[in-house]
Amino acid sequence: MKRILLVCFVLIGELVAAQNYYVYVTAESEDEVSLIKFDGKEATIEETITVGVWPAEIEGPHGINVSPDGKYWYLSLAHGNPYGTLYKYSTETNEVVGKVELGLFPASLQVSEATGLLYCVNFDLHGDMVPSTVSVVDPEDMIEIQRIETGVMPHGSRISPDGLFHYSVGMMSGELFEINTTRLKVSRVLQLDGKKEESAKATMAGMDHSQMDHSQMEHGKMDHSKMGHDQMYHSTVKPTWVIPHPTNNKVYVAGNGSDEILEVDLDKWEITNRMPTGKAPYNVDISPDGRYMLATYKASAETGVWDLKKGDELARVKNSRKVSHGVTISSDSKYAFVSVEGIGGEPGTVDVIDIKKATKVASVDMGKQAGGIIFWKQE
Amino acid sequence: MKTIRFLLLLLCLCWGVVNAQELKLKVSEKPITMKIGQSVQLDAVVVDDQVNRVEDREYLFFSRDRRALSVIDTTGLATAIKHGEYSIVVISPNKDKGRLRADIQVIIEPEAIAKVEIDEVPGEIYAGVTIPLSVKVIDEANFERPEVDVNISSSNTKVVSVAPFKKLIANSAGNSTITVEAGGVATKIDLKIVENPIVKIELVPDMTEGRSGDVFTLEARALDKKGKVIENAPINYSFTGESYDVSAAPSGLMTLEGKFVADEPGLYVLHATCGSAAASVTVSANERNITRKIDLIGRGSINTKHTSDLWIWEGVDGKDYAVTGTWGADGKAYFWDVSDPASITLIDSVQVDARTVNDVKISEDGKICVISREGASNRKNGLVIIDVTNPRDVAIISEFSQNLTGGVHNVFIYKNHVYALSAGRKYYSVNIEDPANPKIVGEFELDTPGHAIHDVWVEDGIAYSSNWDDGVQLVDVGNGIAGGSPSNPVQFASYAYPSGSNHAAFPYRDEKTGKFYVILGDEEFPYGLDPGGKKPSRAAGFLHIIDFTDLKNPKEVAWFQVPFAGSHNFWIEDDILYAAFYNAGVRVIDISGELLGDLNRQGREIAWIVPEDPDGYVPNAPFTWGAQPHKGHIFYSDWNSGLWSAKLRPVVPENAAVESR
Repeated sequence: MKRILLVCFVLIGELVAAQNYYVYVTAESEDEVSLIKFDGKEATIEETITVGVWPAEIEGPHGINVSPDGKYWYLSLAHGNPYGTLYKYSTETNEVVGKVELGLFPASLQVSEATGLLYCVNFDLHGDMVPSTVSVVDPEDMIEIQRIETGVMPHGSRISPDGLFHYSVGMMSGELFEINTTRLKVSRVLQLDGKKEESAKATMAGMDHSQMDHSQMEHGKMDHSKMGHDQMYHSTVKPTWVIPHPTNNKVYVAGNGSDEILEVDLDKWEITNRMPTGKAPYNVDISPDGRYMLATYKASAETGVWDLKKGDELARVKNSRKVSHGVTISSDSKYAFVSVEGIGGEPGTVDVIDIKKATKVASVDMGKQAGGIIFWKQE
Repeated sequence: MKTIRFLLLLLCLCWGVVNAQELKLKVSEKPITMKIGQSVQLDAVVVDDQVNRVEDREYLFFSRDRRALSVIDTTGLATAIKHGEYSIVVISPNKDKGRLRADIQVIIEPEAIAKVEIDEVPGEIYAGVTIPLSVKVIDEANFERPEVDVNISSSNTKVVSVAPFKKLIANSAGNSTITVEAGGVATKIDLKIVENPIVKIELVPDMTEGRSGDVFTLEARALDKKGKVIENAPINYSFTGESYDVSAAPSGLMTLEGKFVADEPGLYVLHATCGSAAASVTVSANERNITRKIDLIGRGSINTKHTSDLWIWEGVDGKDYAVTGTWGADGKAYFWDVSDPASITLIDSVQVDARTVNDVKISEDGKICVISREGASNRKNGLVIIDVTNPRDVAIISEFSQNLTGGVHNVFIYKNHVYALSAGRKYYSVNIEDPANPKIVGEFELDTPGHAIHDVWVEDGIAYSSNWDDGVQLVDVGNGIAGGSPSNPVQFASYAYPSGSNHAAFPYRDEKTGKFYVILGDEEFPYGLDPGGKKPSRAAGFLHIIDFTDLKNPKEVAWFQVPFAGSHNFWIEDDILYAAFYNAGVRVIDISGELLGDLNRQGREIAWIVPEDPDGYVPNAPFTWGAQPHKGHIFYSDWNSGLWSAKLRPVVPENAAVESR
């Protein structure tokens, strides 16, 4: 009897301990999204979903996120004619249930727990050096209800745990933006380069391009060589991501150009720490327990594991191939999932990192240029 | 207690209630009625179980149609812009997580009708003629109101009677006032009907015998009883006919100007009428009889990745070569010896940091190749210039990404300049006189909202760019017609069509007719994608033939369509159009003479060939990208199977069979 009880106990323990983790990952140069399953030992592709509508054009799935209730995933397709599109998929069927056209090159996105609205930055990666916007979408009806102007090339963005504030960074203007998610307005702006740069940026800030009558301009007759485009402001920090801490009222910004992560105190609204990193930190995530921060280092193909209590970088984990991109952490704070783009015809890869051990424990290849990545569930 | 319950019930009836835990968001249950221009403060309040207002709540209002009903986000001040029924969403976030949400229905009342506008009608109208009336109903808010019923009446129905669909019939000479009424507002026009002086119509076709697809041009002269020609007579043209094939119905197209083209071979009677005067001529449209056999000659298989565009050229050594790009792969471009089209041989390749080499072009002298880059790992795409003087040992001269980081989808080389698309928004002219040091010298970009571009093709100093919704743009980059140059591109003509699918363009001048056409190709994929990505794709869209002979008044005159397939890239040589139609392979089309109507139904398709490959990247899934004639052969690239060559068999003289007997 004791034996039977022991066996039962062990079996139940195994069952309780066994966890499957699921993440969605975009393949930007394959027009695919992969649903990756990690069972604690192995990572496998559970399903590959072809996205977009043009078989002979790359539409570039870039940003991805899951609704707070886990029932839907949202995907931004960067390229259109010319505007990109936000798609809504059911996590139950992985089929499209809605879509809406947004701005130029829509990228990172998230649904607010407070308003239920979705906020998506319009990266406008290859556009002119002019301020772009954050689109606000009602995901119930999939309609865009507002565009809020922010900085030049807004890329990384995340929402505070209470859902009341949206943070994004202007990659080329070097700014951190805080948007009040209820009032749909920028509430604060922080220049991350640490100084007010002169030059074109100051001039451009006052421009309202939407009010200009470009039809009266003869672009063909303009001498662009004398316009001083090279004088335009380019941030030295080049922030590419921002993530709010779950509890300490700080946000952490990836300084892709300055090889550092900036800690910004939201109470003081100032930079309180600059943490040197590997080369070109790109995306950042913080474990739900608030203890660890993981940052992808795009140029050195590594992922940095940070202990936020100590403020130390514990380790740099080598990624499976070049061009590390996104990172997302499981809800139990045990594992980080890192997307790695690769180069040319190489497949993309998802690396799984055991955070406490700071080691890569699994990886799986997927479509080319693995990019946007988001943890869905564990069960 | 009963009173309280009654009051609560009444409150519930008057207010929509949305529950979230114990709190409720109350908004007006009944629709709010507004007038255009009116602003109304919308109310929303969160109450607890005791119907007490909960303080310190924030409210977010937004309209589901902000162009018709705007609302200020936090205050709920709504302003009515356009008549209709709309809704406003109110959200109030909870302190912890989640939110309360409710809808407010709003009805914006239409304004009264302000005016009824009638398009101009001729001052004098001949008896016996039918006049279409064009009417617009406009309300006080200046919105057009097509849904409002329009009543048309005539003061003298013996002179003018009213027919359905806003048509007026001029019955006899006299005067009549036409009243057009809508929503209590009326507009009147006075019509003067005169005796129709035309007693005879002389009708002369430019030919009485032709082929299906040939255009019969009618000349109709209206004569009065003295035999005098009446200028600008309102003549209506029509046709009847019978097909030579008993299994086919006669069909064709007659234009308002009196041009007729038959789809089906047959005997057709062409009519011209004006009131009671009428004339007819009979013409025969014979079999076009231009179909030819086409033979598959050779191929250079690529079945490990997708193939994109191709270019065939005569190398500096006099031999013939091809370059093909790759798509969604490893950034390679392949070089082939196609001197013997039956034995296409891979001779070299280059690999660049890209996933897609969408376009490949060769300079006029056969020495320089330019390939486009998309999906570069550093996101600095641009283009790559390659020395192809020796196609067996090609060498990259330079990479150029200035202002082109967003990806170059298509390029064209013309007189030492590369015209390169940038991020699907504009194109730059890049001087490559020194190919090691390319230099941007000019750019062309539209100013229209949401403009985009897909392709550019240059011929005789004119750049033809395909701009989706904005159609084709003709830009002088050195022709001189508008004083343009590579550094100063000057747009001088354009044509757009409603579908907004303009993907490619190719100019064509017909020497015999003097017509200048630009053929515009669609790209459409309305059937969606195979979710697994393993099955053949199916395209849609067709070729639009635009008559640009009058540059200021281009006109869409003809089209070529393949059912359940769609156009991609194409080429014209010697009055023959070679068009890649994705899943329908290569279509070879006779475009000689004047073009009008449905070219495919007219029997203008000479031949077709579909590259089916059971070992293709996607097996048995033809998806032809482009076609190019070269020295008597047709070369074509296919997305799933690589490079192919084919050859049309010679035209067989009509009497050949007789002679051989």
